[in-house]
Amino acid sequence: MKLHPALKRWESVLALLLIAEILLFGAINPVFLQPSMLLYATSDFIHIGITALALTLVIITGGIDLSLGSVMGLSAITLGILWVGGVDIWVAAVAALAVGTLAGVFNAVAIHLSKVNPLVITLGTGFLFGGAALVLSGLAGATGYEGISNFDPAFVNLANLEIVGLPLPLALFLVLTVAFMALLHRTRFGRYVYLIGQNPRAAAYAGTPVFRTLVVAYALTGLMAALSGLILASYFGSARSDFGATALMPAITAVVLGGTSIYGGSGTILGTALAALLVGYLQTGLQLVGVSSHVSSALSGGLLVIVVALRSLTEMGRVWFQHRRVLRNVAAE
Amino acid sequence: MAGSSPSDQRPLLVEARQIWKFFGAIAVLRGVDLTLKAGEVHALLGGNGAGKSTLMKMIAGLYRLDRGELLVGGADASAMTPVTARQAGIHLVPQEPMLFPSLTVEENVLMHVPGNYKELRARLETMIAEIGAGMTLSTQAGQLEVADQQMVEILRGLIRDARILILDEPTSALTPREVGKLFERIRALTAQGVGIFFISHKLGEIRAIADTVSILRDGQVVLAGSPAAFTDAEIVAAMTHVEGREGFTLGRAAAPAERGPERLRVEGLAGEGFADVTFSLHSGEILGLAGVVGSGRTELAETIYGIRPAARGRILIDGKPLAGHGPRDSLDAGIVYLPEDRQVSGLFVNAPLVWNASALVLHRDGEWLPLAKERADFAEQVKLLGIVCASPDQPVRTLSGGNQQKVLLAKCLAAGPRVLILDEPTRGVDVAVRADIYRLIDRLAGEGLAILLISSDHEEIERLSHRVLVMNHGYPGGLLEGADITINAIARLSFGVGANLDAAQ
Amino acid sequence: MIIRFLQRHREASVALIIVLLFAILGLVDRSYLSFDTVLLVYGNSLILFVLAIGATMVMATHGLDVSVGSIMGLAAVSAGLLMNAGWSIPAAIGVALLVGLVCGLINGALVAWLKVSAIVATLGTLGLYRGLVHLLSGGSWIEGLPEGFKALTKAGSLGLSVFAWLVLVLLVVAHLGLRYTAFGRSMFAVGDNRDGARLIGIRVDEVQIVAYGLNGVLAALAGVIFASQIGFIPNTAGTGMEMRAIASSVLGGVSLLGGTGTVLGAALGAYFMTSIDSILVLLRLEAYWNDIIAGAILLVVLITDGKIREAVDRLLRYQKYRKFIEPPAAGHHADAVKANSLSLKTSEARK
Repeated sequence: MKLHPALKRWESVLALLLIAEILLFGAINPVFLQPSMLLYATSDFIHIGITALALTLVIITGGIDLSLGSVMGLSAITLGILWVGGVDIWVAAVAALAVGTLAGVFNAVAIHLSKVNPLVITLGTGFLFGGAALVLSGLAGATGYEGISNFDPAFVNLANLEIVGLPLPLALFLVLTVAFMALLHRTRFGRYVYLIGQNPRAAAYAGTPVFRTLVVAYALTGLMAALSGLILASYFGSARSDFGATALMPAITAVVLGGTSIYGGSGTILGTALAALLVGYLQTGLQLVGVSSHVSSALSGGLLVIVVALRSLTEMGRVWFQHRRVLRNVAAE
Repeated sequence: MAGSSPSDQRPLLVEARQIWKFFGAIAVLRGVDLTLKAGEVHALLGGNGAGKSTLMKMIAGLYRLDRGELLVGGADASAMTPVTARQAGIHLVPQEPMLFPSLTVEENVLMHVPGNYKELRARLETMIAEIGAGMTLSTQAGQLEVADQQMVEILRGLIRDARILILDEPTSALTPREVGKLFERIRALTAQGVGIFFISHKLGEIRAIADTVSILRDGQVVLAGSPAAFTDAEIVAAMTHVEGREGFTLGRAAAPAERGPERLRVEGLAGEGFADVTFSLHSGEILGLAGVVGSGRTELAETIYGIRPAARGRILIDGKPLAGHGPRDSLDAGIVYLPEDRQVSGLFVNAPLVWNASALVLHRDGEWLPLAKERADFAEQVKLLGIVCASPDQPVRTLSGGNQQKVLLAKCLAAGPRVLILDEPTRGVDVAVRADIYRLIDRLAGEGLAILLISSDHEEIERLSHRVLVMNHGYPGGLLEGADITINAIARLSFGVGANLDAAQ
Repeated sequence: MIIRFLQRHREASVALIIVLLFAILGLVDRSYLSFDTVLLVYGNSLILFVLAIGATMVMATHGLDVSVGSIMGLAAVSAGLLMNAGWSIPAAIGVALLVGLVCGLINGALVAWLKVSAIVATLGTLGLYRGLVHLLSGGSWIEGLPEGFKALTKAGSLGLSVFAWLVLVLLVVAHLGLRYTAFGRSMFAVGDNRDGARLIGIRVDEVQIVAYGLNGVLAALAGVIFASQIGFIPNTAGTGMEMRAIASSVLGGVSLLGGTGTVLGAALGAYFMTSIDSILVLLRLEAYWNDIIAGAILLVVLITDGKIREAVDRLLRYQKYRKFIEPPAAGHHADAVKANSLSLKTSEARK
């Protein structure tokens, strides 16, 4: 049976898994299949998807950003502090986005200056940004758990706002997915991202603007993390410094599960988006079925392990089969 | 002179029969026969990709043979691993030192060596003193010069009392004095019955030390026997595809009727690995840059292109100095460089062909990728260069070596160069593609390109160049023009015998 | 000169920073400069010490394990459940260590045999093991641990508790083992140059798996110590510790790329990270300054490290190419060339 080339792609597999997953949970608990349920369940996890979109770019270049969880918290606290200081909520939101973007730029510059592994640098900046969020929130008199609240109701409503029948965060996610797809696959910048990840040396020889590209990639990640922080603030109606504390691993999971190689050079936005939905709905579905949310995160972890292990095994198998085929051909001569 | 006269009663240490080895779908070894007796020095000769290193790695247990038989000490060794090879007394000294850069010399040499540590350490100290190497036990390996690193690799073999020692181009970075000392050691070892495989491309050394020589080409042994039985010419003929070249109908490149305007001028340029280089390159001219490995040619090219910093001197393009010093500035000025190592520095091997072809010109059409135009441009290049491929989206690594090189050429030409620096353009390329590339180079020169051709293939230099600048250990060794360009002259100047230093202007 | 020394001996730099930190503390209140404070910080650092030893081993082989926090929790919960079910304390601890071993070996198998990248593999197991924690504990905290267990971290002889002594011995054994035994050195070899290690005959895969396995055991020990120290076991036991462990090791000079580092350095890094926290408490400053200070210092160390390494590389390159880069000794080479061409002419003439 010859498969249509589109079916062979990983995104198609993910899409099929997503549909299968939804149907499966729907069969167990029909409430799951109600449109309002499907749509509003995303508010729990869609912020991770938004951040994962930009993180895909960074990982394709061969880098990584471990500080994105901290940036989420920092942007939320920035919003909170400015609001408490009397600034208009929308201006504060823009400022929070700016802070996130600057954090991303800081990451890229630190990596470039030190020529040290991005993993370690963003580990450090993760502490730095997270620590900054803690300090700011502490100075504002808010403890870790309370956070800053009493936001402008217009802002809080954002999370519940509907656009063409979709909750705003989900609509944002879809629009951003399309935007990032265009960015990665249709622009010069996106091409540079791939080339740098595939062969940094050849990219240097070809005069590729490496530093500039990396700054943009990390800045976008910071921006998306900041946006996620704002979405969480709106959703919960308060700003806490530990927003995003548990976002890092699911975000990386979405990117890797979506088909991006952790070593860089390959990956797609669509894959990340589908994987984010896949993992997100997995958690929601399990909760609906009665499994505690903590156990469901275990299953996502297990899913990641199984998927990458299987991918590794099939690759090894493929090489082995090809080798055998070649040997048999030669023997026939 | 060669080692003691061979007695056929010496035990066979290694016996290889009809060995085949595949990497993916490519056969690297096609039925190789080889033997090694105790106390014998068996030299291996062959060009790049002939299979010498692969064969030796197989004997050392790093690769498994796909077909054939391998016997070590009479026992079947087809399933050997590095651990069992070690136990069988085999030690491989690799061509490129594979040391642990963060560890000391002592740790590098004595790592995983069985025996009393204190005794071994003392022996090592003595050895270092005897060989006269300029290092101490506690020097960090990463800080050593390549020559010293190679010496450490050799020490690893010596300290292990190996029965079968494989030396892969051990002298490429040694001084003559160090080579002499190494040979003394080798003779001492063979007197004790150690068998040695010696890979080298230096005929003189092979004649000095080897009992037997086997010449590999394209994965097969094409000539074997005592070195004294063959002349240099016979050996060289066996190594290169002399027959294959009969297909060429190109004669020697005629000097252009009139040289075009000067495009590139280099004055007193010095940098990492070369100095005092002065020459000018005109439109329509092919300047060959010859010399042995290590003569500084690639470093010179990389400095002109902006990858390496220039320490002194000037680079002028169309009479004006470059605006900045980096690949982007060079590309903007019309200088394009085709790197020596296409897989590492030139191509994105996992990326589609069309991406590779457009890699240098992405900045021209604005932020949005002109995908249709990209494919159309690539289709034209396919026709122009005769690239054999199934689809523009297939990854470069799926093409043959020759076609990969054509893709690299397409990439460089797409940038519209006025000065084209080609670094080993036909390395690892089959005969037919080589002819294509020669024709292309001639045509490009005819169209007004100024070409700097770096090649270790003297015939190639002779065939294509209007003028030849020979580099020797980083310094200009001589300039040849017109009828003076012969393989002999090039070889002599490369090795530093005689010089003709008229200004290369 | 001093810079080269400090770079080669990162342990000295970190020790220096710790001394500085205590000096600052002493400036505020002299009574804080006592051995008691040192012991206090030591007691608080036990967990991080143990984790840092494991991280050093794994990182030495050019690996990474971000699941140690979850292994901590899993081991702690296992021990807690068993003790509450009536098992003896040593037996419960034994099982906990076994759990850690198995978790570590699974990590090692994924990385060494299945060739999955370390980050991704241990990311997955982080989630997997944490989920098992919740599954086992049923979502509730484990309380009512036996007094004998909690006493293991109460001060005993010479002011140190049983576990404190154990960790001290462990630190010494691990440091010496990594530096002076063949197996320890082979770990660094594997990380420094994997292919080179294989060429030498080192069983690379086995070394990696053992490193991850030992790391798992140590993470389990850290979990047990944690449970003993705070007296109960929350579901979130261990969360976030992997980052602190890696940061401690990196601070102490262990390279993420493998090949370098010492347990002493990692331990000093861990001590430093903990001392920031403790000192803040003593100075009655708010604890929320902890992370930002740790992050800033880590970054400064990393960037300085990178810059120094760059400068050393540049120096080496300069030395390698010096004869070309420096202006030539007047006419030296030109003379040699002329001599050559003369000899050619004479030899030609003779023919």
